Amino acid sequence: MTETKTASTIARQRVDDLAARHGEAGWLKEARLSDWELYLKCPMPTPRDQDWHGTDLSALDLSAFTAVDFQPVEPKSPPEHPFVARTLRHFSRRAGVIVQAVGRPGYIELDAGLAARGVILCDLSTALREHGDRLRPYLAVPAKPDLNKFGLMARALFNCGLFLFVPPGVEIDLPILSMALTGGATAGSAIFPRLIVLAGDNSKVSLIHASAGEGAGRSGGGESAPVLHSGLVEIQAGAGARVSFLDLYQFGSNVVSVNRSEAAVAQDAEFTSLTVALGGGTTKSDIATYLQAPGAASWVSGLVLGSGHEHFNFNTIEEHNAPDTRSDINFRVALGDSSASVYQGIIRVARVAQRTNAYQQNRNLLLGGQSKADSIPKLEILADDVKCSHGATVGPVDRDQIFYLMSRGLTESEAEELIVLGFFKTVLESYPVAEAVDWVLESASQKLFRKPSGQTPAI
Amino acid sequence: MPNFNFPAAAGWQAKIVPGGRRLPNETMSQTKPILAIKNLHVSVEDKEILKGVSLTINAGEVHALMGRTGSGKSTLSYTLMGHPRYKVTAGQILYKGEDLTAMPADARARAGIYLAFQYPVAIPGVSVSNFLRAAVKARRGTELTIKEFRKELREQMNRLEMKDDFLSRYINDGFSGGEKKRLEILQMSLLKPELAVLDETDSGLDIDALKTVAGGINAMTGPDLSVLLITHYQRILNYITPQFVHVMQEGRIVLSGGSELAHELEARGYDWVTQEPAATTDAAVAQALAP
Ligand SMILES: Nc1ncnc2c1ncn2[C@@H]1O[C@H](COP(=O)(O)OP(=O)(O)O)[C@@H](O)[C@H]1O
Ligand SMILES: [Mg+2]
Repeated sequence: MTETKTASTIARQRVDDLAARHGEAGWLKEARLSDWELYLKCPMPTPRDQDWHGTDLSALDLSAFTAVDFQPVEPKSPPEHPFVARTLRHFSRRAGVIVQAVGRPGYIELDAGLAARGVILCDLSTALREHGDRLRPYLAVPAKPDLNKFGLMARALFNCGLFLFVPPGVEIDLPILSMALTGGATAGSAIFPRLIVLAGDNSKVSLIHASAGEGAGRSGGGESAPVLHSGLVEIQAGAGARVSFLDLYQFGSNVVSVNRSEAAVAQDAEFTSLTVALGGGTTKSDIATYLQAPGAASWVSGLVLGSGHEHFNFNTIEEHNAPDTRSDINFRVALGDSSASVYQGIIRVARVAQRTNAYQQNRNLLLGGQSKADSIPKLEILADDVKCSHGATVGPVDRDQIFYLMSRGLTESEAEELIVLGFFKTVLESYPVAEAVDWVLESASQKLFRKPSGQTPAI
Repeated sequence: MPNFNFPAAAGWQAKIVPGGRRLPNETMSQTKPILAIKNLHVSVEDKEILKGVSLTINAGEVHALMGRTGSGKSTLSYTLMGHPRYKVTAGQILYKGEDLTAMPADARARAGIYLAFQYPVAIPGVSVSNFLRAAVKARRGTELTIKEFRKELREQMNRLEMKDDFLSRYINDGFSGGEKKRLEILQMSLLKPELAVLDETDSGLDIDALKTVAGGINAMTGPDLSVLLITHYQRILNYITPQFVHVMQEGRIVLSGGSELAHELEARGYDWVTQEPAATTDAAVAQALAP
């Protein structure tokens, strides 16, 4: 079989120029260059690769994308934007906000009391200038061996993002919001955001991050070229810390989004992660959790709502690297129209990780006649005293549930919508930020309401 | 007895059933029937379950439909509500004179038909209060304010002895049998149907719950509500008095009579319907129908 051959070669010059433009420290440029070298060696993924399982981005020429940056953030006023307005209204009680946008100034606010106690919230460029020493131990480390070509590209070329630092012992009860608006990106552009969250020992923090944008190449030619979003998230939960992270994507159908998030969870720390994928032409995300010390625990959940021809490919990776660790995965996918999803859940239990408790559940609701879902659990267990279970279901909405609601006067589509939101809600109810539940459901229902067009709301 | 002038001179039809009994299968009155089922045949997955059911209910009447498990009672109730799995292969269902056959379930509900399910369906993640508001809005065509809605809800819930925490629970999810049946009746009280089909609302209830639920139903009956009360046992008929009792067997109504028929059935069992000579049955029917 012959393949569409694409170059995807990125000149070293691009890395050099980027480092020079930002006046970056030597260690950072070295880190970029070593990832760039790995990038060059790493083959373009094909749909036959295990981790990609049917997701085909092999025709993309990665070298053709032009990186665009977010504009600087200012503590003035949030950009006028329906998504931002709705989100701020919803989380009127919050500890901080950062809004970053392509093509317009961003916004930042942080509770003064928290700032005084050493909490840092800023865009990544500022962080690299002002807090390089804090970042260095996390950025100047080799990439994980399973990071794909897109991730390596993002590590070589990342140009924007966020830094959140919570000192040991500081407990932040209210959520911190981060919004990244990519709607200003034109066809053929690429965005490489990198989020770094360092939660000190016994700290507590909740970060709610939303990436939203149509990215439909409104200006200029090359209408058919997609926008590439390749994001990296790195979270460190210190000993005894309680960290929750909500990652919501709401992209237009012209966005190819390939993401990797990694959380390292230390002794007795609790990490909660919720990924909400509400749209994008192709979305491929790896969500990896490393339970590194005894007592570490993670709850990783995901909600995916597809429509039109959207394609989703999620891998969750739970690594139990120490004894007495717990993980619980709950991934729910609802697919309308001709949308498709692949979910792969990997649980790895190291030989030392005795008394691991790992649970994985994936449920898929097929709403559209042409929709399709695959679910692939993978268990790699080397320890012998382990509790590990998994389950998956794929099927249409229960006709008896639909009939029950219709027998009370709801139309078929109203009934289906309630059932889908309920399907999501049972996952959300264990999320530690109560305000997030309605915000997510509202975002999902906006998409459901627009079902016929298969488009996410204009961002 | 309201609207009861059976047998009317012209409208009475006799039907010969296996066993040679003559059965009244249609009641006529001056008022227009709210429901007229005519020679209804229904199949599920190409298997015929209802084999010619005829039944007429006039406005304000309470009819009991009894019969063994598997005789087709729930099939009739699902068919009346418009479950797509139940295919009408022959006959008619007229609701206020209009043929329902092509009408989807939601339109029937908005038109005033209600089914209390024998086995209410659990819908995890959908709270009772959200659902009730959506249902009330659909049925009445206007949205109540939260305040109005709460007030009405509280009244009805008090009557059914339901606690507030019900509202935040998910529809029928982890509900006991009694809680499910109460929720069915609560919905009925909010949706204010004109025709209610109550499918074994009594089964699975202890005696106190049965009294409460029956009280809830009795509070709603009157000239604006007609009821088809499906039951396996006579027990609920101690609390709700039907004007008519019908017995279903193998997809047909094989016997109809007045409320005494239920007691007779309770005393003698369903076998009596098939085994007893025609004369006894006719006598019972005649007695039941005597003015
Ligand atoms: N969904 C169905 N699929 C297959 N058979 C059914 C279905 N529903 C009912 N039946 C059959 O139809 C007959 C009547 O059932 P039902 O109407 O539930 O009786 P009842 O409510 O009187 O107990 C039974 O033989 C039952 O097995
Ligand atoms: Mg039944």
